[in-house]
Amino acid sequence: MSGQVLVFQVLNGIGIGMIYFLLSVGLTMIFGLMRFVNFAHGALYLVAAYTAYVISQLTGSMLWALLAGPLVAALVAVTAERLLLRHTYAMPHEAQILITFAVALIVQETVILIFDPLAKNVPVPDFLSGIVFIGPFVYPAYRLAVVAVAAVVALLLWLVLERTRFGAILRAGSESTEMVSLLGINIHRVFLGAFALGGALAGLAGALAAPLRGVEPFMGLEALGIAFVVVVVGGIGSFTGALLGGLLIGIVQSVMSSLWPEGARLMIYGAMALVLLARPAGLMGRA
Amino acid sequence: MSAFREGGRFPDLSTAGVAVALVALPFVLPTVTLASELVVFAVAAMSCAFLLGMVGLLSFGQGLFFGIGAYVSAILLREHGWATLPAVAVGAAASGLAAGMLAVLAVGRRGVYFVMLTLAFAQMGYFAMLALKDYTGGENGLTGVPRPPLLGGLGTLATAETAYGLLALLAFAAFLLVQRVSASPFGSVLRAIRENEARAEALGYDVRAFKIAAFALAGMLGGLAGAMHTIFLGFVPPNVIELEISERLIIMAIIGGTGAPAAPFLGAGFYVLMADLLSSLWPRWLMLVGFMLIAIVLFMRGGLWGGAASLFRRLRPGRTRS
Repeated sequence: MSGQVLVFQVLNGIGIGMIYFLLSVGLTMIFGLMRFVNFAHGALYLVAAYTAYVISQLTGSMLWALLAGPLVAALVAVTAERLLLRHTYAMPHEAQILITFAVALIVQETVILIFDPLAKNVPVPDFLSGIVFIGPFVYPAYRLAVVAVAAVVALLLWLVLERTRFGAILRAGSESTEMVSLLGINIHRVFLGAFALGGALAGLAGALAAPLRGVEPFMGLEALGIAFVVVVVGGIGSFTGALLGGLLIGIVQSVMSSLWPEGARLMIYGAMALVLLARPAGLMGRA
Repeated sequence: MSAFREGGRFPDLSTAGVAVALVALPFVLPTVTLASELVVFAVAAMSCAFLLGMVGLLSFGQGLFFGIGAYVSAILLREHGWATLPAVAVGAAASGLAAGMLAVLAVGRRGVYFVMLTLAFAQMGYFAMLALKDYTGGENGLTGVPRPPLLGGLGTLATAETAYGLLALLAFAAFLLVQRVSASPFGSVLRAIRENEARAEALGYDVRAFKIAAFALAGMLGGLAGAMHTIFLGFVPPNVIELEISERLIIMAIIGGTGAPAAPFLGAGFYVLMADLLSSLWPRWLMLVGFMLIAIVLFMRGGLWGGAASLFRRLRPGRTRS
């Protein structure tokens, strides 16, 4: 593999990795806060990708799609939390997992019912359909835009977590929810906020990914598997871990896809197994 | 999600019930194909139910072991001309081995982490199948797997009926094994781990080793079911190692209930028959299964088996509930 191809694949991997980060950070945040594993997280990504598909079909504008995708995903997350999930907080993990898994199944079947099981293309927006030159390297403009959008969102998210009152409550809550509610904070509203934020982030990942990979009803399940790998690699509950894990997995997948195309996806899991052997709690995880 | 009954007996009334059901199925159901499918998935669901009911481990990865069993046995039958029984045995053993190795990585991780790892491993299996397409046929699967005699040229499996006979015998053997293990001292330790891991550890049991052994046993059951699936179909579709199979096995185990070794037969029966009845009427029937799953987890922990058992107790006057 020539140096040029390598640089191209690493750049590509950063794009994929940023999408993986957006996908996983909500999952890891919700887990860190309430020890709740949301198996319906991939379904939010799925819903947003289909929203992006519909909006771009209707308006031809990817910008509206990028706004609507996260919004609809957050709405679905909040609805599920209000109607069902909040009743399961006191239940054992297994019950929460099974219930959110059932929710994901229902969402997936609803998507097939409304659309059909076939994969569909989502066009790259016109103004981003070209290529750009980065020094001597040629790079698709849309992928560069994905990296830019994701980086801005990651920065904003970091600022929210580190510099705002809501972020302080979230961080305090992941240390001890009991203590936070004793301090007079309505922890249930914080939970709801975390679901909305996590849903919107997964939704942004889905909407950004739609033009890259198209949409199909089983992409949510695939995304859930990827998000788990990222979380396991990065260490569960850690923002930095999700970022590192996402980038590492994205780059491994992208670089391997030019070395061994059939095995690129396999190597993601190979990387995960290596990290598990070397650092069982993940790169940034606390043992 | 109810637990296996304390100190389950071996054999008990359900042993006779399973035997009778296995004999009756091909006559009661419209086709032998349906009966065979039911029996295959009952063993696979047993693998899930055993882990959850006995040890309290929820695995989203049992489909991986199903897939390994299916592919290993098919390759032995097709490429190496093995007889049926050894191919099935090696398929099951290979899955047990793979499960044991993955358990070494995963079992140290508690609760949620463990569940996420099983799902990731199941995905890995699918991509490994694609990467090894020279052996597995990739997306085409393995077609034309022969159905040779059982062993040394004896015991032909020419018809669907004789094949069902073999599958039913294997399923009965798997059921007896699970029931026997559940009633054994080993089973008691597994239950102790499920109830209170720290206490089991404090009593001096090597919790990690017990969990690895249980996971390997469950992997072997999954592999046996996969090998049975190969015998049943005569080919290996690539979806046997997809994540969807893992999900299906969880659904069957939860619907049937995880409180007794025989419960997976109910879960698999329900799923296979519903799929047969509804898939032509309303292809999106899985949505109903989703709602049903939520209802079972919220209101009917014992699944169909638990529901039937409490009905049975209520209908027998003069007996106090245990």
